Amino acid sequence: MTDLSFTEEQRDCLQELINVAMGLASDKLARFLNTFVHLQVPAIGLVNAAEIPEQFRGQYQGLNSSMISLGFFGDGGLRGETILLYKLENAGKIAALLGYDDDATSEAEMLTDISSILTTTFLNGLAEQLDNSFSYAAPRIISSRDNDFISKLEQTAFHWQLALKVDIRYELTDYSFDCNMILLIPGEAVLKLKTILDQVLAEF
Amino acid sequence: MNIDWLSGPLLQQLNSGVILLNNQLQIVYINPYICRRADIQLELVQGKDLFSVFADAPKAWLSRKLNSVLTLQSPAFSSWEQRQYLFKLPHLRPVSSANQYMAQNCNMLPLTEPRTGEQFVCLLIEDATDAYVYQSQLQQSNLQLLQVNRLDGLTGVLNRNYWQQQLEVEVQRAGRYQHPLSLLFFDLDKFKRLNDDYGHQAGDIVLIEVAKLIGSLLRETDLFGRYGGEEFAIILPDTPLEGAIEVAKRICRRVAATPIAYKQQQLMTSVSVGVSQFSTAVTADELIQHADLALYQAKRNGRNQVVTYYPELIDSLKKVKA
Repeated sequence: MTDLSFTEEQRDCLQELINVAMGLASDKLARFLNTFVHLQVPAIGLVNAAEIPEQFRGQYQGLNSSMISLGFFGDGGLRGETILLYKLENAGKIAALLGYDDDATSEAEMLTDISSILTTTFLNGLAEQLDNSFSYAAPRIISSRDNDFISKLEQTAFHWQLALKVDIRYELTDYSFDCNMILLIPGEAVLKLKTILDQVLAEF
Repeated sequence: MNIDWLSGPLLQQLNSGVILLNNQLQIVYINPYICRRADIQLELVQGKDLFSVFADAPKAWLSRKLNSVLTLQSPAFSSWEQRQYLFKLPHLRPVSSANQYMAQNCNMLPLTEPRTGEQFVCLLIEDATDAYVYQSQLQQSNLQLLQVNRLDGLTGVLNRNYWQQQLEVEVQRAGRYQHPLSLLFFDLDKFKRLNDDYGHQAGDIVLIEVAKLIGSLLRETDLFGRYGGEEFAIILPDTPLEGAIEVAKRICRRVAATPIAYKQQQLMTSVSVGVSQFSTAVTADELIQHADLALYQAKRNGRNQVVTYYPELIDSLKKVKA
């Protein structure tokens, strides 16, 4: 079986690229939301996709949570899916900031909008760092206000070999918004990502 | 090979809509797919504000979204599942589909002119009417299946299975919130003879008409079901015994007083009713048993009357069976 694991150098490199991508994202979000956005350096972890559901059980089970998926394709076989997890009470805060309380926008629409803004802003930054560009599928609500949260996550994670778990915490001046982002990447794309990381490392 | 010539014909013939806007949300380009369906001419709308041309579009929401695309340089999406359409456009589906306008998926993409660096936002619009129609039909079928699953085919009242499930729910609710709950069991008197004398068709009509009459005497929240053959049952939530007896008497009186038309004849019928009342010590099964015993006693007392359950009925039944 092909070795999908990252070397320490590759891992550090990826962490660095993600940090930069996050910085770009928070800058754009701050300008868009017109408020100061502080972004903590995200903690990333490469895990077996099968372990993902268990990792989030304690954090989200039984709460009013939402899980939104967004697929992306890049050049050179890089592709994957991001899953954004957040608690609905948190969504309300950012929705108010985005101005969603002034018309008859449905909750589902609000959730997909927030997710696509958060994920595509980050992914665009990441693509830029990888000298790539991504195209996106429309966001899809996997689960919302659902008791069966973890089993749905299991079904989704099942299709993927490797998961890049990114814990993000956005802090806005007057609001606090936490979410978890999971980047799911299939085996072939992991190999591609490793090659790209090696290239980036070689250039420095 | 140079393929610069390709984009023109592609935009002309593309089976999806393309709308290009500048950063002021003014129209730069609209492809024929949209122009023809919206009955507009590109030359006449170029440079105009998007919302002055498409006055029905959701302005507050859409402009916010388009501005997010420009500011964040990230794509945005709109799905027919959440918002059926952005623009009122006709579709080419049979008129039989209930929706008048094309259901749409829309991608909103940030674009930059390479030489000038000027920023644009491009709306790609896809027709999702088929998916919309199929899903509507599916939902309707599911609803019908759900109803078929819950209702009695002949009389349209709840079937026994679903009624019994509801009884469990109501018993639990009454127990939890200390609310009163009563049960009526009733049976058409001498129904077998009616069937023998006039035929099963007449019997069916009587069942349908009696169910209809009794249904009209109940509240929205009462749960009326067919328990079997000519036996019916009614759950009366939030109803103490006195109220239930009142309802039972009214049912008795009205059924006995209402002739049912069948082939130029007027059929008369009556019902016997048993009443039982929930208390915390009583299970759903016992509640049914009590109402059934009271009904049995009403029959023995000479039919067309109401009997309320009392504990001695259990002993009297034992004597009859012995």
